Amino acid sequence: MNQRVVRRSGGDLDVVLAAAAIALVGFGVVMVYSSSVIEATTVYRNAQHFLIRQAIFGAAAIAVMLIVSSFDYHRLRRLAYPVLGGVTLLLVLSVIGLGHTGGGAARWLKLGPIQVQPSEAAKLALIVWLAYSLEKKRELVKTFSIGMLPHFLVAGLLMGLCLMQPDFGGAVVLLFLTFTLLFVAGARLGYLLGVLIVGAVGAAWAVRFTSYRYLRWLAWLDMSQHRADLAYQPYQSVLSFGSGELGGMGLGSGLQVLYLPESHTDFISAIIGEELGFVGILGLVAVYLLIVARGVRAALAARDDYGMYLAFGISALFGVQALINLGVAMAMLPTKGLTLPFVSYGGSSLLVSAAAMGVLLSVSRGNEERIAARPAVAEPARPPEASATVMTEAGFAPREAAPDPGGGPAPRRPARPARPSEVPV
Amino acid sequence: MSAVERSLDGPRGRWIRLRVGLLAGLLGLGLGLVVSSASTLMLEDGARWRELAELQRQRRLHVAPKRGTVRDRNGSALAVTVEVPSVSLDAIELLRGVQPAQVPARARTAANDIGRALSLEPAAVEKKILQKRRFAWLKRRITAEEAEAIRQLGARQRGAERVAGLAVEGEGRRYHPRRELAAPLLGFVAPDGEGKEGVEHALDDDLRGHPDQLRGLRDRSGRLLLSEGVEDERALAGHDVHLSIDQGIQFVAERELASAARTFEAKAASVVVVVPRTGEVLAMASWPGYNPNDYGESDIEARRERAVSEAFEPGSSMKIFTVAAGLAAGVVTPTQKLFCEKGTMAVDNVVIRDTHPAGWLALTDVLAVSSNICSAKIGLALGGDKLYETLRRFGFGDRTGVAIPGEASGTLRPRGRPWVQVETASAAFGQGVSVTNLQLAMAAAAIANGGELMEPILVTKVVTATGELVREATPAVRRRVVPRHVAALVAEMIVAVTEGHGTGVEAAVNGFRVAGKTATAQKIDPATGRYSLDRYVASFVGFVPAERPAFAIAVMVDEPMIDHAGGAVAAPIFRRVAEACLEWSGMVPRGTAKADPAELARMPDPAHAAHAALREASGAAPAVQVVAPAVAGGGPRVPDMTGWSVREAVRRTLELGAVPRVRGSGLLARTEPAPGQPFERGASLVLVFEPPT
Repeated sequence: MNQRVVRRSGGDLDVVLAAAAIALVGFGVVMVYSSSVIEATTVYRNAQHFLIRQAIFGAAAIAVMLIVSSFDYHRLRRLAYPVLGGVTLLLVLSVIGLGHTGGGAARWLKLGPIQVQPSEAAKLALIVWLAYSLEKKRELVKTFSIGMLPHFLVAGLLMGLCLMQPDFGGAVVLLFLTFTLLFVAGARLGYLLGVLIVGAVGAAWAVRFTSYRYLRWLAWLDMSQHRADLAYQPYQSVLSFGSGELGGMGLGSGLQVLYLPESHTDFISAIIGEELGFVGILGLVAVYLLIVARGVRAALAARDDYGMYLAFGISALFGVQALINLGVAMAMLPTKGLTLPFVSYGGSSLLVSAAAMGVLLSVSRGNEERIAARPAVAEPARPPEASATVMTEAGFAPREAAPDPGGGPAPRRPARPARPSEVPV
Repeated sequence: MSAVERSLDGPRGRWIRLRVGLLAGLLGLGLGLVVSSASTLMLEDGARWRELAELQRQRRLHVAPKRGTVRDRNGSALAVTVEVPSVSLDAIELLRGVQPAQVPARARTAANDIGRALSLEPAAVEKKILQKRRFAWLKRRITAEEAEAIRQLGARQRGAERVAGLAVEGEGRRYHPRRELAAPLLGFVAPDGEGKEGVEHALDDDLRGHPDQLRGLRDRSGRLLLSEGVEDERALAGHDVHLSIDQGIQFVAERELASAARTFEAKAASVVVVVPRTGEVLAMASWPGYNPNDYGESDIEARRERAVSEAFEPGSSMKIFTVAAGLAAGVVTPTQKLFCEKGTMAVDNVVIRDTHPAGWLALTDVLAVSSNICSAKIGLALGGDKLYETLRRFGFGDRTGVAIPGEASGTLRPRGRPWVQVETASAAFGQGVSVTNLQLAMAAAAIANGGELMEPILVTKVVTATGELVREATPAVRRRVVPRHVAALVAEMIVAVTEGHGTGVEAAVNGFRVAGKTATAQKIDPATGRYSLDRYVASFVGFVPAERPAFAIAVMVDEPMIDHAGGAVAAPIFRRVAEACLEWSGMVPRGTAKADPAELARMPDPAHAAHAALREASGAAPAVQVVAPAVAGGGPRVPDMTGWSVREAVRRTLELGAVPRVRGSGLLARTEPAPGQPFERGASLVLVFEPPT
């Protein structure tokens, strides 16, 4: 495109955000070991089976995150369609029977020796595509045929494929992401509400007329009655969670692992609750809040709509995944089958989360870079009150101040580094 | 691309910012909701959830670690746990991946397969499957064939469909290979794995193993995981308990108890054998017994170990300890003669009587004829406090602390205050005080052990299933009770009881000098509160050989009906148990080596004759003069007692030194051996009674 894209982002990494993600990955490796020992031993005859894999995935994930963060995220514009197409293809393949059935659902696609879970990638692909498309459509977002329909058609296609696997949780997250980004982009609330109602009806229909989902729903509503069969998993999960009390039973001392199926994947937070207690859960939620806060900050400070959509979509993805996962583990929500980002076992989930985090870091780095780059190209002609605005906007609102000093003459992006407006010195 | 600048500019930028803020706030609110819900779940209700989780584990992890084995002193197993396989079903696992519509059909075929393998009603199995429980027993205690059939079902890959969710697990079941042997001592184990009664209860913590550690090592269906640091299930299993009991001696003790209890129609009886030097309990028998393999069938009363749980009034055997106390305190001297008041003596308002009225008696004879009056005099000379204190030092009135639950302490001061004069006098000959048979045996062992009271040892060691020693008992002196020379004197004195005119000649063992004391105590009639005239406790306590005691034995027979004298009822049991002990230990009768082999060969009972000859040579009266009058042509012969009553015949048989075995009722019809046949002392004489025609 231009010089800016070719140039690597030179800004500083958001160390806090990166550290939070890396800490979560490390924590996840520990928790996966603690919660998978039994299954690893009974099924794989090797207590470290999951530990070793998660550690390798974790290292790879951190590498992916750092590498992706060092690229300029604008490059993703070109990848929006190929990624969307690829993911759709993988989803179709897994649905039409190449899927590897695990846990009663064909969520995995076998590619040679490795298995991938395309629905994890679909979430990131959708964000990347929506950000591209929303930025391109700008004001047209407010229209129905251009602003709403295509986005919901694409999201609906992906959701339908997810539901066919079946992965209800994945579909819910895709729907949520579409809504979030369209809402942020300024779509008409009336349209959104309409689609929301249609979606709700559709979801209800999907639940009501898929007998197992309906039965599960009923069982979840009346958990104590069904704790031995259909509500077994949420009941055991609550039992785990609750028995953690304040300080937990101690790392590795949790015993609910014996009863809670998939305790190292979707229900890992129940084991965290049991072993580390309320204190541990509080810490975990605080880290996700931190990630969301830094992510939203990066979104608001992003140089362009594209970065803003990307950063906000990704932050919302992390936040909502953690929220739903914890809610499910506490049986506040019915069982969905969503991972706890960065923590749950699974290469696909971990690598996709890491890639997403890399993009988020790249957006925030682009933003940082501008601040970092400023002194070099500084023009001291900045009015003091503009500088004050920067300060009061808590550092992520320079663009607010941008137009007034430069005014019209800041025509093209290459000229941006030379913009005189942002000189806090 | 000026869009960048425009993007968050002006009103549009503000709107976007507002929307982002709104959504981020909602997310934050959601996470806050998560935290608040977590605090309710974990902080407010946490304790309740933890309790539920704990309950679930206890129910689901039903297989306890293997219980330790109880062994005797030679390592023979007295109580072992054998694993009996059982089958359980995880219905969720069985129906996993089955389309909802096909569940009933799948349940039916699986139920048919399982029913065939286990010979169960398929309809019942189907019902269990459709309940969709994570755990349900299908059949407990299955055969090896059934276990194999279930494994086949679970492993089947081709042909028929594999039936998932079946698990075969070992369930422990306690088994007593020697059945009734030492049953009240050992106790039994309830189906929930808890030891009841006896050693099983007292050492439950050792035997039971470590279910706590096991918990973390079982998966959802209760299967044991052997890796993760524990390669060997034995590391979690209960400890093995080694007892000081010798199963051979225990067997003889029980056999003799049962035989005597039936002969004399007793209510209950017990025997304790201890090693005086170490305090080890070699046998502790209690009659009636029961079969712990089938304990449900037994009477609860039969499950008590009476030797420790039952306190009784000892009667005359207490005189041993009174005399020892008197000698130790110097109120009597060994050579002193005491006046026995010709059979009656008044103490305050109570008259004490002797069964053998006598005048002046040497201290030895006081014990030999068991004079209540002279014992009372010694007690009164000592004074109540001094006598009480010495008896306490002998261990009476205190629990011995042996590893059997429900031990009685016995009572020296029933009213909890110092004795008045009458009480001191009666306590001196064993009335108004109560003891357990184990206390009696330990106190006699203290005399045998030179005056030092030992701690009784029942559990010699506790060993882990992998063979590491957990703890080991070592002989421990509880306290010195009387000086060594006093103990030696008393031991020598009570040898007279089993010799000559003593009351305990029935306890004499051929070739060994036996020290001991008979006792015949009246029981208090609970209805009247006075001493009963027809209910007694017959007992004998003593040790053998008198000069170097190896075994101290206490015998107690409660309410014998045919006879009640300790010398007639309890002394023969003592003798036969002592004989078994001496034989087991390989001790050689004294003097055998010195006798002329040629002459011994001509004698019917070499050991007996050698002993008598030795005694005569040393100037003493012939040892067995009274009980076994020498008859020309060898030993005694069976007298003709045809037409005698049961009581007369039994008494005569006992006088001859034979063991009466009573059959039938009425008048004596015949004996085996027949009248006129020679028999050996200690042999059985079968008395067959028939109702008079």
